[in-house]
Amino acid sequence: MNPKHEIVPISDREKKLNDWLKKPGGRLGHITSIDGKQLITLVLDTETGSSFCWETPIEHSTYPSLTHTVPQSHWYERTVWDMFNLTPTGHPRLKPNLLHESYAPDLVPLAHVEVNSLTAERRQYKPMEVTGEGIYEIPVGPIHAGIIEPGHFRFSCMGEVIFNLEIRLGYVHRGVERQMCSVPWRHQRFIAEAAASDSAAANAYANAIAIESLCEEATTARAEYLRSISLEVERLSMHISDLGGLAGDIGFLAISATMSRLRGSALRIGELLTGSRFQRGFICPGGVVSDPASNLMQIQKMTKQLQIELKPVLQFFFNNQVANDRMEGIGRVSPRLAIDFGLVGVAGRASNIDYDVRRHFARGVYRQDEIAIAIETAGDVMALARVRAREIETSLYLIVELIDRLPEGTVRVPLPEKLKSNQIGLGIVEAHRGELLHLIFTDNDGGVKRYAIKDPSVNNWTGLAISARNNLVTDFPLCNKSFGLSYSGHDL
Amino acid sequence: MLKLFGYLLKQGVATSGDYCAPLAEGVIGLPKFTDEVCAGTSCGACQTECPTQAINVTESDGKPDVTLDLGSCIGCAVCVRTCPTGTIANDNRTKVASDTRLDLIVSSTSKRTTSSNTTPQGIFERSIAARVVSTGCSACDLEIGACNNAIFDMERFGIHIVASPRFADVLLVTGPVPKAMHSALKSCYEAMAEPRIVIAVGTCAISGGVHKNGYTEANGVDKILPVDAYIPGCPPHPWSIIDGIRNVMKRK
Repeated sequence: MNPKHEIVPISDREKKLNDWLKKPGGRLGHITSIDGKQLITLVLDTETGSSFCWETPIEHSTYPSLTHTVPQSHWYERTVWDMFNLTPTGHPRLKPNLLHESYAPDLVPLAHVEVNSLTAERRQYKPMEVTGEGIYEIPVGPIHAGIIEPGHFRFSCMGEVIFNLEIRLGYVHRGVERQMCSVPWRHQRFIAEAAASDSAAANAYANAIAIESLCEEATTARAEYLRSISLEVERLSMHISDLGGLAGDIGFLAISATMSRLRGSALRIGELLTGSRFQRGFICPGGVVSDPASNLMQIQKMTKQLQIELKPVLQFFFNNQVANDRMEGIGRVSPRLAIDFGLVGVAGRASNIDYDVRRHFARGVYRQDEIAIAIETAGDVMALARVRAREIETSLYLIVELIDRLPEGTVRVPLPEKLKSNQIGLGIVEAHRGELLHLIFTDNDGGVKRYAIKDPSVNNWTGLAISARNNLVTDFPLCNKSFGLSYSGHDL
Repeated sequence: MLKLFGYLLKQGVATSGDYCAPLAEGVIGLPKFTDEVCAGTSCGACQTECPTQAINVTESDGKPDVTLDLGSCIGCAVCVRTCPTGTIANDNRTKVASDTRLDLIVSSTSKRTTSSNTTPQGIFERSIAARVVSTGCSACDLEIGACNNAIFDMERFGIHIVASPRFADVLLVTGPVPKAMHSALKSCYEAMAEPRIVIAVGTCAISGGVHKNGYTEANGVDKILPVDAYIPGCPPHPWSIIDGIRNVMKRK
């Protein structure tokens, strides 16, 4: 699926984007650049399943910030400033997002244009200060107490109530996007998988779709089904893990221990399907690397068994009064803010955003009514947990059902060595956290000149900061677990 | 609540009885060399196809020699699938940890036996407290988390995960340690009491993996801290992690 290319002059950009977001099904996919000479605005139409790539030429490395009218662009504009040295004038809180003080001030990783002498001031990071009598700060991280990735949280509190949470990321910025352009496209999938390994299958899938669209080739029906099964298995294991983590933070250890054991079964299903617990190295451009034909019966059997085992655990969890009290009304994100900040995936659906890539950008695998619409309106921790629980059921159903319907045939088609020149390729996938985008631009020789990844966490980190507001410090772990965001997927 | 207890009792014991059980049939582990003779530099398919340049094919005295750096290997099994002679095969062992970086570089001609300076009575023989610092993609962290679940249950081997470096005997570092984490990792290490041990968990932590040689200087833990043991794999299997920690527990 190639997005339609369009040149949008800088004077029209703001109005055009605002109009687009007002129309039904209009979504902002990504804001980035190719080499620092232009802005790329990827917009999606979820009603028709189409996408448009607006290119805005930029002069003198500055452009007017859209954050005041399109709040969700604030995060993208900060990243573009870091990676391309394009300054959004009028941005209310411009500060580095991915590059920290330790990087040389004149490092502009993705721009291919001359950069003027830049000073170290540019890298300085000042968290927003909340002042007033009795206000104090709790700094947390970058290294967290548990076994999770690094990030810095700064809570400004009054007593036990959080006034403001500022999240600073970038600690695991490994330079994935530049690395992607330096290897042959056949090796890109391994880096894509390592961008965020808990969404390895989703990242490899998005890479495969984008590369195939640049070759103008389609894979076989059987491979397309196997990839979807792989994606569902990943969703299943991560949702189980996230719900277990939520139970653990409430202190409901019987549930969290059972969930972490049952996650083992989900990983074993993935292992039978792909040979890897994290389903790595399975999905590739052109199809999948091996056909798990002999294991399919066992996968179905294990999935049905897991369905039986999960049911009572979920019932115990959602019927428990203490668990209900801890989750209900906590960490609320209103539907209005969810739309303004473009929340995706589970977090979006918990705040009444009816958007699921599996339905809106369908690839012919799922039937019309098959993806149960799991929508909640409350936007609190409970709503997120309920959406997750329902998606677990859908995934369990889909794994069994898709194996039943699996078409015969080969699982891989050969692709040409060279990609089509001067094209834009887009891979869009519903990862377990939500909409994942891989956007590829090729140059005159068919080489990859820019590889952009937009992880669902990019949208949802702001959602987490909003959800923590006016909640107790002790409820923050619940907000955090209910979102279950990726640091590495964001930092790249 | 009683119903819940009843349910839990009915589940029985989930904990796995065999220590370091080999990987199940069809599961991809690290590669290993078989006795089949390699086709030499005229083939070199594995070297070209390896996404992390972990394989080097040379010839000495007309005899082909392949070296494989398990510390750079991401276990994608591309070499196993492309090798026409069957010289490289899938290794289903989960005991893969090693004490030195050099032990991870294996050769098809001279098979090295892993040397280990373990003694029956190590200083952390009975129990060890581990602090995990993640600097990567979260796969290794999830596998360390899995070591704690009812199936692998590493607490029964005396391994505890602690929330502060002050309480820790061993530092488990995952991920390639990009530049923004350099100082945080150093201060975490400095906060630990001696004797202290550092284990690099996973291919990224050992060599930078797919991220090495980039502008973020994410080239592994041993560029920042002295590393005492290496656990290869991308991510390593929970058994490999438990075995790697058990190895350092036996150290004098």
